[in-house]
Amino acid sequence: MMTGMERLSAAINGTLADRIPVFCNLLDQGAKELGLSLEEYYSSGEHVAEAQLKMQAKYGYDCLWSLFYVGKEAELLGCGKMIYAKDGPPNVGEMIIRKYDDIAKLQIPDDIGSHPAFAEELKCLRILKAEAGGRYPVCAYLTASMTMPALLMGMEKWMQMLMLGPHDLRDELLAKCSDFFRKQIAAYRAAGADVLVYSNPFGSTDFIPRKFFNNLSLLWMERDLGPGGTAGVVYYCGSARFNNVIDTVIRRLGIGVFYLSPMDDIAEGKRLVAGRGLTCGVINDIMLLEWSREEIRAEVKRIIEAGKPGGKFLFGTLVMPYNIPEENIRTMLEAAYEFGRFDTP
Amino acid sequence: MLEQVMNQYNEAIMDTDRDRALMVVRDALDLGISPEEVVFRIVVPAIELMMKSISENQGVSLAQHFMAAQIASEVVDEMVPRFQKAPEIIGKVVIGTSQGDFHGLGKRIVSGCLKALMIEVSDLGLNVAPERFVDEALAHDAQVIAISSMMVHTARGENGCSRVRQILKERGLEGLIRIAVGGAPYRFDPELYRTVGADAWAENGIEAGKVISNMIREVRK
Repeated sequence: MMTGMERLSAAINGTLADRIPVFCNLLDQGAKELGLSLEEYYSSGEHVAEAQLKMQAKYGYDCLWSLFYVGKEAELLGCGKMIYAKDGPPNVGEMIIRKYDDIAKLQIPDDIGSHPAFAEELKCLRILKAEAGGRYPVCAYLTASMTMPALLMGMEKWMQMLMLGPHDLRDELLAKCSDFFRKQIAAYRAAGADVLVYSNPFGSTDFIPRKFFNNLSLLWMERDLGPGGTAGVVYYCGSARFNNVIDTVIRRLGIGVFYLSPMDDIAEGKRLVAGRGLTCGVINDIMLLEWSREEIRAEVKRIIEAGKPGGKFLFGTLVMPYNIPEENIRTMLEAAYEFGRFDTP
Repeated sequence: MLEQVMNQYNEAIMDTDRDRALMVVRDALDLGISPEEVVFRIVVPAIELMMKSISENQGVSLAQHFMAAQIASEVVDEMVPRFQKAPEIIGKVVIGTSQGDFHGLGKRIVSGCLKALMIEVSDLGLNVAPERFVDEALAHDAQVIAISSMMVHTARGENGCSRVRQILKERGLEGLIRIAVGGAPYRFDPELYRTVGADAWAENGIEAGKVISNMIREVRK
């Protein structure tokens, strides 16, 4: 049987594989797997690594995650309070930027790799690499400079600053967030992360008008990715659609993997990528809380039939809510393995 | 002339150009257009036009929603004190994010639109307990409780909309107060509003203006 890494390499290179790669983003479910509260679970990189390995072995999908939760990046920049729920990801509990003066005070750590807030994630990554490196790709999650301010000041205030200014402070904040991004991606690469999910809802015209995408987002994305390049980088805009910027992103940034929105037209996305990279068809996994077995199978089939012809395609999930029944996770994955199989000659 | 001003204002809104939109409005006053006409024949139709663009899937972005609501709110603040007589408020709403949810953008867009539609909004802020939604709705004599949730567990959770519904039921208030919900989980599961006991949902902040206006009319029948 092929490993996840072999399947991913085959999809990238357009060579033969038993089936398409299947990426399943189980994060909070790790706590359930170990019988811990989410707060206990996320306090230790060893817990997260153990659960990631257990869940991969249990379900058989093709990736491992070093990500704890999205707000983790705010902790690296000084946020000392996370608010934990019992059945969902933690929220940032204190905004680092409460007033504009706080932007000047924002300090970007020199060495993220040795920062205490990164220690547990680094521990997790090292365990994953030691246990499964080379067999299963280890994914890391990084927030783009254009989106990072939402974690530091809240989405409402960031949208206000982005659209109404003051623009000098906006650019000062973006420059700091971009510096942070560059250091963070270098730290993940140094620790051996194979897949770098570049999260940027502000890289979608569902969030900002095309004019802003061209004149602002694109420039900051170039700055983010310039020094380290785009090897292993995955373009991802959360749940926002981005088919209409794919061509520009390939030409200007050279990114080669596109993790579409569940709302994007998959066949259209694949046509736009046009063999220049990998396309990931993503299921609306919020509906896994409601769908029947037949509905899940039909949706997985639809996605894979739209993207599989010609290869260079993988199947993926989005947020995977904590309360999805295990049976529905299995149904989705079994359908993805079945419909994603390639006939061997 | 009014049509020309409307077109200029709409263009400024779609371009997310606040300064130009405000200039168009101020120039309109200089041309003799009344503050009432500015609000009801320029600002409100601009919101309605945006609703139409959204429903026709013409690619209106979140930033455009935000700016349309923001500018509408600013224009209304500037025009209402100049009205010949105080405008008639069509209804009252309390709005907030569900308990455990700290995402305020959607709520702000909705509030801006409602204000332009002459609906009085009491903003309860972020992370609002279900009991508080009901208490404040009663205190403000509101016809609608609007609950914004950006996370699945805060939309579906036991301290979200479903608990607000339960409290309304327990207190015999269901005929007096309706519940509207919005936020990402509802977009990804359009039937979720029923599961959590809401009366209606809106796909975005601009659409919420229409949904909530309709609910107020229903309660006031």
